Amino acid sequence: MPIEKMIPLMTAGVCDTLYMTLVSTLFAYLLGFPLAILLVLTSPKGLKPIPVLYRIMDAIVNIFRSIPFLILLIMVIPLTRLIAGKAYGSTATIVPLVIAAAPYVARMIESSLLEVDPGVIEMAQSAGASIPTIVFKVLIPEAKTSLIVGATISTGTILGYSAMSGAVGGGGLGQIAISYGYNRYQTSVMLVTVVLLVILMQIFQIVGMTIARKTDKRTRE
Amino acid sequence: MALIELNHLTKTFVTKSQTVDALKDISLSIDKGDIYGIIGMSGAGKSTLVRCINYLERPTSGDVIIDGKNLSKLSDSELRQLRQQVSMIFQHFNLLQQRDVRGNIAFAMEIAGMKKPDIDKRIDELLDIVSLRERQHNYPSQLSGGQQQRVAIARALATNPKIILCDEATSALDPQTTQQILALLKDINQRMGITIVIITHEMSVVESICSHVAIIDEGVLAESGPVETIFSQPKTAAAKRLIFRNVQKAEKLIGDRMIRIVFDGQQADEPVIAQLINQCHIMVNIQFADTRNVGGKAFGQMVLQLPDDHLQQDKAIYFLKEKGLKVEEVKNHAH
Repeated sequence: MPIEKMIPLMTAGVCDTLYMTLVSTLFAYLLGFPLAILLVLTSPKGLKPIPVLYRIMDAIVNIFRSIPFLILLIMVIPLTRLIAGKAYGSTATIVPLVIAAAPYVARMIESSLLEVDPGVIEMAQSAGASIPTIVFKVLIPEAKTSLIVGATISTGTILGYSAMSGAVGGGGLGQIAISYGYNRYQTSVMLVTVVLLVILMQIFQIVGMTIARKTDKRTRE
Repeated sequence: MALIELNHLTKTFVTKSQTVDALKDISLSIDKGDIYGIIGMSGAGKSTLVRCINYLERPTSGDVIIDGKNLSKLSDSELRQLRQQVSMIFQHFNLLQQRDVRGNIAFAMEIAGMKKPDIDKRIDELLDIVSLRERQHNYPSQLSGGQQQRVAIARALATNPKIILCDEATSALDPQTTQQILALLKDINQRMGITIVIITHEMSVVESICSHVAIIDEGVLAESGPVETIFSQPKTAAAKRLIFRNVQKAEKLIGDRMIRIVFDGQQADEPVIAQLINQCHIMVNIQFADTRNVGGKAFGQMVLQLPDDHLQQDKAIYFLKEKGLKVEEVKNHAH
């Protein structure tokens, strides 16, 4: 492929991939964050144990986590049509991406919140804090660093998923890699998309970890 | 009327495999202004007991009455209100790692719903009380253990509580820092009249600052009362074990006739042993001594090895009894 065709193609691919990844991550967090907080609070050892609710949510998360993404992508096509109006392209791919990522994100956040020292939670209770106060003034701020690291890892995973969606009509770099590199034997195009994906992943990782380190107050200066 | 009253408190933990009676029928009454020590070996149930006082643990049965309010009758929000009057400090300080010193002290006041300018003003006062002004913008990871505990004390004081509960508050600190923290607690008790309940496994903590002590042994209240009374005449085996922890070892080494004399406060400034030697011309050998100064009076005991002569032995015992000391024969464990 000549370079003057390659550049606009790749630029569009990167934009589509970023769009899918970031919007999906946002929605996955909107769903996953409340879910994670509920999981932490209602667990048998939580602040407000509701074993039935906990077990149901726990099972749902596990089920969605165990469906391979490529299969989920196909399974939810009817839902995708309903929400996005069509089953192919970048916007449509956001639907399965969010469904796959939200439970993953919920587990990430759950594990970050569970890392918070139980002693600090007990301190907040002894000071008369209500459960919402404990969530917003203790759990989330104390887990901040771990949450940022988790978000970095989650975004990377969703980036990977978005590339995979190219196999079944999703947009972005994954689609370019498959339609040029795999279907038309243009290995050079495929290699360029791989390099671009590696660069995107590196950027996410560096930005995320830098923010995490800069905002962490636990390290001695 | 007592500020804290525990009536027939029991706490049973039920797990799948077993039932554990952590507290068995404990009744205590703590007056306003007391520094009340609750001492016991680890696993005795004292941490559970202190958590029952602010209902972090709900007792299985029995009542906790604070300032006339029965905690079992309070709603969740009333209970949270009450907890602002019953502060707590912990063995591992439990500071918010992502907040600086000021932020940590502010925490309790934010929960109490105080306004920002009032909080800032109060923080300044509290920083002076715990002498941490120059550390106000540091984070917990930049502070020593003693400094962290002082932040926790400032946080505990912030809402002007009636009671401070201390759960092994000095157990993670070195002896010197322990003394500083205890001195600070005593000062707070005396200046502000705040009642302090101290959970500890260290006798030295009780000796240093407590006015009253309760001894908990395997979930049971063995003894309770003023420190002087309990220390001079411990009645139960559990109390004796704690107070004369080192004595038992010494007795095992003894071969000749031994007596134990007990100091219970009155003879503090009288050099009894010197008088015994000087006036009666009886040579005694101090095998073991464990005496301590509690509130300006001497408490404790001494084990004396007496000369072989029976007449001298009786004379010595008579002399010591005349001085008002309790004298008892030490059983020979050597064989």
